[in-house]
Amino acid sequence: MAQDYTPVPASKDNMGKPVARYEALQKVTGAKIYAEDLPVPGRPAYAWMVTSGIAKGRITAIDDTEARAIPGVQLIVTHENVGQLGKLETFANGGLAITEVGPLAGPEVHHDGQPVALIVADTFEAAREASYKLAISYAEESPTATFGDAGATEKALGDINPEYEPIRFNDAEAALANSAHTIDAEYRTPIQHHNPIELFSTTAYWEGGRLVLHEPSQYVWGLKHSAADLMQVDADNVRVKSPFVGGAFGSKGAVTHRTALAALAAKRLGRPVKLVAMRDQGFTHSGHRQETRQSVRLGCDANGRLTGYDHRSWEFTARTTPYYNGGLDKCAAMYAFDAVRTDEYVVQGDRNVPTFMRSPAEVPTIYALEAAMNELAAEAGIDPVEFRKINDTRVNPVNGAPYTSRSLNQCLDAVADSFGWTGRDPRPGSMREGDWLIGWGCSMAMYPTQMGPSTARLIVRRNGSALIEVAAHDVGTGCYTIAAQAAGERLGIDPQRIEVRMGDSRLPPGPISGGSISTASVTSAVANACDRIVEELGLSSDASTDERAAAMAGMSEPEIEVLGRWTPPGMGEDALQAMYDGGVRITGGNMDERTMFAFGAEMVEVRVNERTREIRVPRIHGAFAAGHIMNPRTAHSQYLGGLIWGIGSALHEATEIDHKRARYTNDNIAEYLIPVNADIGEVNIVMVPERDDEINVLGVKGIGELANVGTPAAITDAIWHATGTRIRDLPVRLEKLL
Amino acid sequence: MRPFYYERAETAVGAVASSGPGTHYLAGGTTMVDLMKLDVQRPTRLVDISGLEGGRYDFIRWDGDALRIGALTTMAKLADDEQVRRRAPVLSDALWLAASPQIRNMARISGNVLQRTRCPYFRDTSYAQCNKRVPGSGCAALDGGVTRHHAVLGTSDQCIATYPGDFAQALIALDAVVEILSPDGPRSVRFADMHVLPGGKPDRETMLKEGDLIVAFSIEDAAFPRSKYLKVRDRESYAYALASAATALRMEGDTVADVRLGLGGVATVPWRAKEAEASLRGGPLDESALERAAQIAFAGATTTEENAFKVDLGKRTMVRALLETARMEG
Amino acid sequence: MSDDHDRFDNFSRRTLMKGGAAGAAMLPMGARAQSMSAGGASATGPSVQRIEVSLDINGQRRDLTIDTRSTLLDVLRHELELTGSKKGCDHGQCGACTVHVDGQRTLSCLTLAAQAEGTKVVTIEGLSDEDNLHPMQRAFVENDAFQCGYCTPGQIMSGVACITEGHAGSDAEIREYMSGNLCRCAAYPNIVAAVKQARTEMGG
Repeated sequence: MAQDYTPVPASKDNMGKPVARYEALQKVTGAKIYAEDLPVPGRPAYAWMVTSGIAKGRITAIDDTEARAIPGVQLIVTHENVGQLGKLETFANGGLAITEVGPLAGPEVHHDGQPVALIVADTFEAAREASYKLAISYAEESPTATFGDAGATEKALGDINPEYEPIRFNDAEAALANSAHTIDAEYRTPIQHHNPIELFSTTAYWEGGRLVLHEPSQYVWGLKHSAADLMQVDADNVRVKSPFVGGAFGSKGAVTHRTALAALAAKRLGRPVKLVAMRDQGFTHSGHRQETRQSVRLGCDANGRLTGYDHRSWEFTARTTPYYNGGLDKCAAMYAFDAVRTDEYVVQGDRNVPTFMRSPAEVPTIYALEAAMNELAAEAGIDPVEFRKINDTRVNPVNGAPYTSRSLNQCLDAVADSFGWTGRDPRPGSMREGDWLIGWGCSMAMYPTQMGPSTARLIVRRNGSALIEVAAHDVGTGCYTIAAQAAGERLGIDPQRIEVRMGDSRLPPGPISGGSISTASVTSAVANACDRIVEELGLSSDASTDERAAAMAGMSEPEIEVLGRWTPPGMGEDALQAMYDGGVRITGGNMDERTMFAFGAEMVEVRVNERTREIRVPRIHGAFAAGHIMNPRTAHSQYLGGLIWGIGSALHEATEIDHKRARYTNDNIAEYLIPVNADIGEVNIVMVPERDDEINVLGVKGIGELANVGTPAAITDAIWHATGTRIRDLPVRLEKLL
Repeated sequence: MRPFYYERAETAVGAVASSGPGTHYLAGGTTMVDLMKLDVQRPTRLVDISGLEGGRYDFIRWDGDALRIGALTTMAKLADDEQVRRRAPVLSDALWLAASPQIRNMARISGNVLQRTRCPYFRDTSYAQCNKRVPGSGCAALDGGVTRHHAVLGTSDQCIATYPGDFAQALIALDAVVEILSPDGPRSVRFADMHVLPGGKPDRETMLKEGDLIVAFSIEDAAFPRSKYLKVRDRESYAYALASAATALRMEGDTVADVRLGLGGVATVPWRAKEAEASLRGGPLDESALERAAQIAFAGATTTEENAFKVDLGKRTMVRALLETARMEG
Repeated sequence: MSDDHDRFDNFSRRTLMKGGAAGAAMLPMGARAQSMSAGGASATGPSVQRIEVSLDINGQRRDLTIDTRSTLLDVLRHELELTGSKKGCDHGQCGACTVHVDGQRTLSCLTLAAQAEGTKVVTIEGLSDEDNLHPMQRAFVENDAFQCGYCTPGQIMSGVACITEGHAGSDAEIREYMSGNLCRCAAYPNIVAAVKQARTEMGG
């Protein structure tokens, strides 16, 4: 690590203060702020989820005699006695269910690790012991695991989504044919799992007819409505508590089977029930990043100007529920292409349903585009940084919609300066130190700026304190901190005197914590609440913060309460109602009238051992521009985490699947490798100031999913630069370089 | 976990005398408790030996060039021992490159050498086929399974599960002897003889018998300042070896006077490459000699499509380790 | 290979015979068992054995009757409401459950609670009181060494031990000796910065 590494950077132009996290003290003292740790009334019973050991087939018999005989066992639920649960819709149909198949819906087994029974006992040990004794017989069928396996079925996205249209912008075929340089390559990305350190848990109890759930969630209002639908009670009678989430990355947005199972068991037993999916069960419980195959053809003229771009992708998904990410429309907006053609497909097999995982569409598709960009730059003999600058665009070439702001070139310059890119000898294999081959690579990073509706209740008090309440979520992003900063800066209140409550469905609704929408959406609603306070105080909207603070101190009432509301421009008012009903409404990115993205640029140094070919990343730099930065401290940590995720994605992370049995074999975090501390050397982050007054109230762009996009392309290019070998199949493991 | 009786033994004699069917010793617990949670290990009685006789089996003693280490010494203590680091770095390296600081604080070296394979089909009881776990049930790995991590040396048609440890390679390279207290009395065996090849009985991993308690390891000639452990893995730390090599070297001028070679990550048991050693003894340590030795070491390899790279990687690891060892002072 | 009996400190065959010194050699834990059957382990295995233990947790004596299967982590979380130590994997792979046992960083998920009797256990809750944070806790706040915070108690307990063990001498050494604690938010460089800051304050 560089000696001058600064974990908490100073503010620059258009950035807020790097204040410490609202909950920092709680997090370093082990306070009870996570769902599973919250107290419950009375001693809970412990549930163990029994999951299928086969991927396809049918349960033919269940014998629970021996399991019931284990001392302390209170309840065993299977498809035979689960009774009638409500039905939820999946994302594709406007709901939040992870899968079309309901909890314990029947004897059919659709994937490995499908919950097939729930055992509840007085102790965790008794419940687990009983799981050994529950005899389940299956009629097993031969499953389809992944691409290339017998039984895999392909569909074009248009076949499953009538609204989907592939891009046909000018004649890509002709443009490619007339190019001076072209590349034609296939790229592969692996199955990956979120693996937040906090396990998937649900604690449920009933107070009369009211259900209380403690469940780590990226959308407590959505979970409240979903649980109500499943348990067939009024949503007003369900409360979800999830004050802080121990990491999510997309895995705690969907509603999984465990919620209803815990709620049902708690109801039948009349006591709190705690259900924790174990780490291995987590691999089949709440989705994953699906594997992809992508074919890219890209051309440029003799001056390096991009011509034609043809990108086709195949995502592997579940037979029951064809979840997909798509995303090639975003790739098509990135550079000044003359002509673009895209086609997207899903391939289905006997697998659990994928879900969104940090930059779901962007990680695989931008990897392929950026890897192709690097390959084409090399082919054309142009420096890859210069190549991207040549092809910068101010509009989405496909529909002509202008970018509200785009600072890719500034980011490229900033990172090149920080990294020392000018010292790069472009010839592969030209740098080494001792037994280690050295290579440098770069890529662009991007993420669409997205937003959703939000509310925020704000109470300001004569004594100078304030309270913000919104059912938004903090998955480690700093949402509490930023909400307090947004109100504090607008009203002239010391953020230390602002109490923030989030992660509770009893609070006014906030958006799903997904698509990096929280900061933009929540701060916009908080700003609206502040404006309402100003109005209540009888001040003009241009009153200074000092005047605002003085007016609050002189209030006639002890406190004023308002409910702020915000709906992104262009979204109908029905979007707000949809959120109140637990639905998800997100807008942004590629729009008809404007194009909204955050950008970054990344550079890495890799070292490859000459003999044994281990690949290490001693150095990674990133420069990012994302509008107004609320808090450089939390932003820096988000970028840091993103870059390291990018390293993991390129070199470490892959879920291995048994082709014969369609089962994940490294379903633990000893062998599903994520980077450890020793993998990470020098990391340097440059925050490039950017102003965007058009995009939302505070001019902020979401950054949580920006920095891990593109990194794998920078790393594969650096590996090529070190060794002369192009690897197009992630993760890059050393055997590919032997 | 299934229910079990828990007892603490005060003395080694008492522990051994209390052995019986279903009884296992428990020290650090890092393998036993892990596998009990997976229902792979099902002891009916655990005898906790971690506190035997106030630390009587927790020692590191040199007597000239001979080294004797108590079986209940933690991995961390041995890894950090200043004299061991200096006089036999291969022992220290093989420990600190293994597992994590927490695990090394807990695990005792006797338990460490007995750790079980990471083969996913062994560790997950929902797989019907595993000859090691359920004798005669078949081998899921060989029947279309994922085998990137599996062994290429010492395999059989019944089992290709990799021995996952590191320290054992160092012990085998240095001709360690295991001191065992058994119900019939004390005995010693060569460490190289303790683990047994899977053959037709992969469920039997060592020659230890019911009640056998490892009390110490001894190495008659442990003074190898020119020795090291090279571990090649997918991430920089806290990962199992794809291939590893424990090396110890004595040179007379440019001639190899003595060389020791233990190979890890590639074999079903701790692996000593004796024939490769013999090919190097008395000659120069140059690329062609090393290449020849590597060919010899892996001559008997059997591979699957996914783990075939381990032959090449294993050779490269061995050559690199020996070259780096040759560069050491000593 | 000769059997060198001297090395065994004069064990004799007689003392090893079953029924010899065995009874006296065992701590009386079995005698305190509430449901241990007289015949020992049967062919089908024993039923649940509950034992009394007295644990020293954060300087407080806690007398409990527990299932022998209970891990230290589950006893902390389920019985003692000390939920600062986290269950991230339950198999010794993530480090989120790290506590100090007699000053040594230890995975509480792989430690049977019964084994902890006679030791001093310190968890994140016992590292300091809120008004007087441990230097490592303060350093974690000041260096933003976490995001979601779930691995943080384990990181902090591990960080303190990393220094007291003498493994915080350089950045590279800190990285290696903090690699038993996974951080999925990937705050690693900030964790290293925090350990370095605390090292100065702790005089390590």
